[in-house]
Amino acid sequence: MTEEAATPVVPAPATSSPAGVPALRIRGLRKSFGQKVAVDDLDLEVPAGSFYGLVGPNGAGKTTTLSMATGLLRPDAGTIEVLGTDVWRDTVKAKSLVGVLSDGVALFDRLTGEQLVTYHGLLNGMDRETVAQRTNDLLELLDLKSAGGTLVVDYSAGMTKKIALACALVHAPRLLVLDEPFESVDPVSAANIRDILAGYVRGGGTVIVSSHSMDLVQRMCDHVAVIGAGRLLAAGTTDEVRAGSTLEDRFVELVGGRQHNEGPAWLRTS
Amino acid sequence: MVAHLLSLRFRLMLNGIRRSPMVLVSTILGALWGLFILVGLIIGMVALAFAEPQWAWITAVLGGALAVLGWVIVPVLFRGMDQSLSVEKLRTFPIPPQRLLVALLVVGLLGVPGIVTAIVGLATTLSWLREPVALIAAPFAAALGVLICIAASRAFESIGAALAAGRRYREVMGVIVFIPLILLGPIIALAGSSLSSISGDLPRIAAIVSWTPLGAAWSIPGDLALGRPLEALAKAGIALATLALLILLWRRSLATLLVSPPTAGSGAKRSKGLGPFNWYPATPTGAVAARTTVYWLRDPRYGGSLVVLPALAILAVFVAVTGSEWFLLLLGPIFAATLAITLCAEVSYDGTAFASHLSTGVSGVADRAGRVITLGIISVPLVTIATVVPQIVLGRSADIPALLGIGYGLLLTGFGVSSVASARFLLPVPAAGESPFKTPPGSSFTSQISMLATWAVVFALSIPELVLGAISLIGGQMIFGVAALVVGVVLGSVLMVVGIRAGGALLDRRGPELLTSLRRARGA
Repeated sequence: MTEEAATPVVPAPATSSPAGVPALRIRGLRKSFGQKVAVDDLDLEVPAGSFYGLVGPNGAGKTTTLSMATGLLRPDAGTIEVLGTDVWRDTVKAKSLVGVLSDGVALFDRLTGEQLVTYHGLLNGMDRETVAQRTNDLLELLDLKSAGGTLVVDYSAGMTKKIALACALVHAPRLLVLDEPFESVDPVSAANIRDILAGYVRGGGTVIVSSHSMDLVQRMCDHVAVIGAGRLLAAGTTDEVRAGSTLEDRFVELVGGRQHNEGPAWLRTS
Repeated sequence: MVAHLLSLRFRLMLNGIRRSPMVLVSTILGALWGLFILVGLIIGMVALAFAEPQWAWITAVLGGALAVLGWVIVPVLFRGMDQSLSVEKLRTFPIPPQRLLVALLVVGLLGVPGIVTAIVGLATTLSWLREPVALIAAPFAAALGVLICIAASRAFESIGAALAAGRRYREVMGVIVFIPLILLGPIIALAGSSLSSISGDLPRIAAIVSWTPLGAAWSIPGDLALGRPLEALAKAGIALATLALLILLWRRSLATLLVSPPTAGSGAKRSKGLGPFNWYPATPTGAVAARTTVYWLRDPRYGGSLVVLPALAILAVFVAVTGSEWFLLLLGPIFAATLAITLCAEVSYDGTAFASHLSTGVSGVADRAGRVITLGIISVPLVTIATVVPQIVLGRSADIPALLGIGYGLLLTGFGVSSVASARFLLPVPAAGESPFKTPPGSSFTSQISMLATWAVVFALSIPELVLGAISLIGGQMIFGVAALVVGVVLGSVLMVVGIRAGGALLDRRGPELLTSLRRARGA
């Protein structure tokens, strides 16, 4: 499939955002689990129409932050607005604007791929024809057409990520929040997904991805935020944040914890 | 190496227990209960020493054979019950199969079931206190018997592991093998009533079993005591050959398992079209109903909860045949009471997939209503049949309205109450893909209390139709029965709608907290 053919079938978000309203605005966000503080007074602003990367070491609070931003986890304090709508006041409206791919939650995997995407469409209150049309488009777009009748539980890890992405896209959200969308996805599928996401951003949508792959984020995202220990360490356009160096070096510099040794002597065989 | 694996095993067990105080308490209670039974068994063994040696022999042979059978069957049934030291996890370590075999044998012996089997097995020695020859042979025979138990269990488990790689096979087997187990109650009842006639045959049954690999080892001391030394020798031969064969089989399958992991996911099921999604209206409620319909058809955990119904029906027929008709008479209301609260487990069955309901912002009412619709389509016909058919067969058609009133009342009220309850608390259930009958960790006292409380509320709210129905059944006036039917359906429907509304509102409010506890339940 060529990219030209791919772009138009992405459910395009309506481009009617009031000028200057950020796609996501987080103010003073806090969350702790028992003694452990997961997110500590975090502020973050994601401009509308940006392709935003969220990076941080394991346990930095990325998944917790994104869960709270999508209405899956109640924050202890702070406000979150999606395109000017408060997520925890006007929950239903906010959720209709957002498409979510969560990391570490199960899917209803006894459904076939086609049924699962249809399910998500219908849950969003769409009518049958639109759902059928978009399900068909998305399965084709993500190269899952032939697996549409297979139970999701029998999918490979990469196919599962792709079907979850289709579920997140089916209601044409204005903001797409993807937690680790490229984990265990093969390079070809990952490239296809990147094209789809780029097309979606060109069509006026906003994408937030969290990832461990610095290379990927540097190439793909126009904005990036670095999170460590529940705090924002740096944010801005990708070029601003990496400040002439590579994103990976800058990340290590910001986060710290790099160890400069070659491991114990017995591990060196020659 | 053996000691290493053993300490790993105990470390895993201890850490599992220490996860929460509730688990610790229930483990201690379970251990005390087990100890109680153990002491009872040992006293029984000593008592047998003062009975005729014939009976000690029969007990040892039949009990031992059952133990071997249990060791083979239980792990196959509860696949994944104790996978803490499964071959799959040990595959990456460079352990020669020979030593792994010895290690797994010892680990099996020193687990809780192994220790219990070993103690009971060795306790059979006590029943030969008055037979010196048998007393000397008994510990060796018991050791042989216990080793056969563990080797048989391990051998069949690792042979089964290769077979059970296919998901569909596993799921279907998981439900099928449980049907006889649930029917065990009626079977035992049946056997109990005619035990007097069987007891005459017990010596013959024991004689046959003692020549099979199941009972041979356990028969040795008895044969010696009863003056059959040649038979004892032959049975020792059978037992040793059994053990050798089992170890050989196990060793071979272990060697294959170590190098070639069973591949999962072959023969994936394909289905065309949207299925149930075309049957229901294209609304969020319809979508939830369609999804739960698919799950009732495909997820063994849902269907598994219905297995108890045919068992109840068979038991009712059995009780009716042996004299008392009350069970069969009340079958419909009993079905209703059972089905009414199956809804309580639904959100727990969803697991973290419930996140998709949360992230799409589907209203709690639609979520509740969709689940109730599917369960209603399944359970209303079931309750109707279970009420009407027995009354016609028993020639008591006049009682149909009263019993239908009670049944529908309980069912509809139950839908309402469990719609609220399942938004309030989660039940520990097996995760998707696990055996539907696996007892999940942390199935604690509190969840059983909350189930009982739900039931109590259902019955309390159904008091009007229960009273009217009871008056009709006892007094024989059909007019009260009709009143019960009307009240049951109307009041039940009102309570159902109220329950769906309240449960939906609760779900809207508590959704994120519910997801957090679902994540925690899955250890994520």
